[in-house]
Amino acid sequence: MKKIINKIPLKLILMFIIMGIGLITFVKNDAFLYRQPIFRIDKAEFLHKNQTTDTFQNEDVEYTQRLLGTILNGKYKDKKVVINNTYSNSQAMDKKYIKGQQAFVIIHKNPSLNVTIKDYKRDVPIVFVLFLAISLMVIFLKMSGVTALGSIFVNSLLFILALLINNHANGAGVVIIFSVLAVIFSFVTLLMVLGFTRQMWITLGSTLTCTFMSVLIGLIVFTITHERGIFYESMQYVTQSPRPLFLAGTLIGSLGAVMDESTDIISSLFTLKHEHPQISKKQIFKSGQNIGKSIMGPLINVLFFIFMGETLPMAILFLKNGNSWGYSFSMNMSLGMVQSLISAIGIVLAVPVSSFLTSIFIKEGGNK
Amino acid sequence: MSSIALLGIILLFLMLLVGGRQGFNSFISLILNFGFLFLAIVLISFHLSPLLVTLVVGTILLSLTIFLSGVNDETGKLAFYSSLFVLIILVVLIIPIEYWSQVQGFGLEDSDDLEGMSLMIGISFVKISIATAILSTLGAIAESTMAIASGLGEITEQHPDISSKRLLFDGFFIGKQIIGTTLNTLFFGLFGGMLALFIWFFGLNYSFGNILNDKVFNAEFIIILFSLIGVILSIPITSAVIAHNWKRKHN
Repeated sequence: MKKIINKIPLKLILMFIIMGIGLITFVKNDAFLYRQPIFRIDKAEFLHKNQTTDTFQNEDVEYTQRLLGTILNGKYKDKKVVINNTYSNSQAMDKKYIKGQQAFVIIHKNPSLNVTIKDYKRDVPIVFVLFLAISLMVIFLKMSGVTALGSIFVNSLLFILALLINNHANGAGVVIIFSVLAVIFSFVTLLMVLGFTRQMWITLGSTLTCTFMSVLIGLIVFTITHERGIFYESMQYVTQSPRPLFLAGTLIGSLGAVMDESTDIISSLFTLKHEHPQISKKQIFKSGQNIGKSIMGPLINVLFFIFMGETLPMAILFLKNGNSWGYSFSMNMSLGMVQSLISAIGIVLAVPVSSFLTSIFIKEGGNK
Repeated sequence: MSSIALLGIILLFLMLLVGGRQGFNSFISLILNFGFLFLAIVLISFHLSPLLVTLVVGTILLSLTIFLSGVNDETGKLAFYSSLFVLIILVVLIIPIEYWSQVQGFGLEDSDDLEGMSLMIGISFVKISIATAILSTLGAIAESTMAIASGLGEITEQHPDISSKRLLFDGFFIGKQIIGTTLNTLFFGLFGGMLALFIWFFGLNYSFGNILNDKVFNAEFIIILFSLIGVILSIPITSAVIAHNWKRKHN
């Protein structure tokens, strides 16, 4: 028991706690960094409430509260203002404010000084969760955690670069831009994990083949079925042509999972070849199939839950607004479903493709 | 035929070809997962407690994903227990953070899609956001607990007299190997799933501060972070559960 306690990196944990407290205190008081005026609620008073019923017989209660507080930054710094705020039990786009919270506000000067609430300032909780995830990663996984974080950091920068290029091109060629990004993403990520090795090239080959093949299969299916049941008009936040945007998103979305699957299969096969150098090409292919088929199911579900989970609030809203199950599904979940299915096809393809590529290109002795 | 049906048929065909019976089970698991997810949505819209619905459906979904993936019973059982532990810790973390971050419902970017809709539906969207976050992390929890459990299962099979302390150490070793690629799955999933929103941010010149406080982005971003935390936690938890079970069996 004592040995285990000795292994807990107390110093590291203490360091993260102190850093965390410092970071949160800073973000709590970072109003001076923002150009938008920020308002701190010093006192919240309940004014009145109002029972509401909408056309679909949904009952709710609307409350009005008076917020007394102080502007924290900008021209009106330290000015005391009073704002009326309404919110409902549902709180879909409004919210109840309590003492101590901060919010972004809009200051109108005409005809007289008048302040309205825009949105809650939520940087403190977001930074907290981000910091918590990073700390846990470094505390539990040490160097491997740091490497993984470094790879995500580099990929995020590349992603931002691609967004900038896309913005510059006004949305023309979004599929090409993100296809190139997919190639660079996989190359950089695998290089950081595996280095310039034979194993890296095989994994890269498998990842790219399967990702692009799955999107190609998707495109063929779209052509055959004339995109029946795909409602691009239901796609959210669209500022450019939705079809290529959807394809680009699907490509990037499935890339990570296909890479995950290929990496797992190929590294197991390299270990196998190293331990049993006399193993034949056929046996390598067969072992790859065996390893792959047990991990493909769970991996498909990871993306399924991420793609489908985000549709939950809108689907519930649709149902409560008198829409049928079928219509609510089509308008909210069909695109996520297509995205999940195309990535799933990529993940399944990765099993034979990575096994095949490894069986052909692996060197005698299984050296990387 | 609709595109979804044809894609589904192709997926089923490929899964049968690659995985045989196991592939078929994985396909069934995917269909059942969708069924239960949709059931959760319908039950919540019938005003059942979102948290209760999520916990019941979440447990069912975890067991479906794990037991239909083709691992052997012993490994599956241990992975399932571990995933429940991870789920409980995540729920305890998710509830206060969803209340604190207030990313529920819809943001200003959703205004167009909400035209003509009544938002006063009498169901708390904070509770719906908690349900969404918990359900979204299930896949990642199931995947990582199973990867570690089956890795350790193989080790105990090959080295029947391994010590439980050594097993704990090996669990961390496997965890270190899977974390990099799992992180990629999660973040590329985020990049791909929210590509339209990211392009919106750039097109409309959102500042870093705007994005850091944006409701729609953060709702999705913290879900990815919760999934990541779930994956990290499943490393010590699964290793400990399996090492403990090993020790008990050998005494």
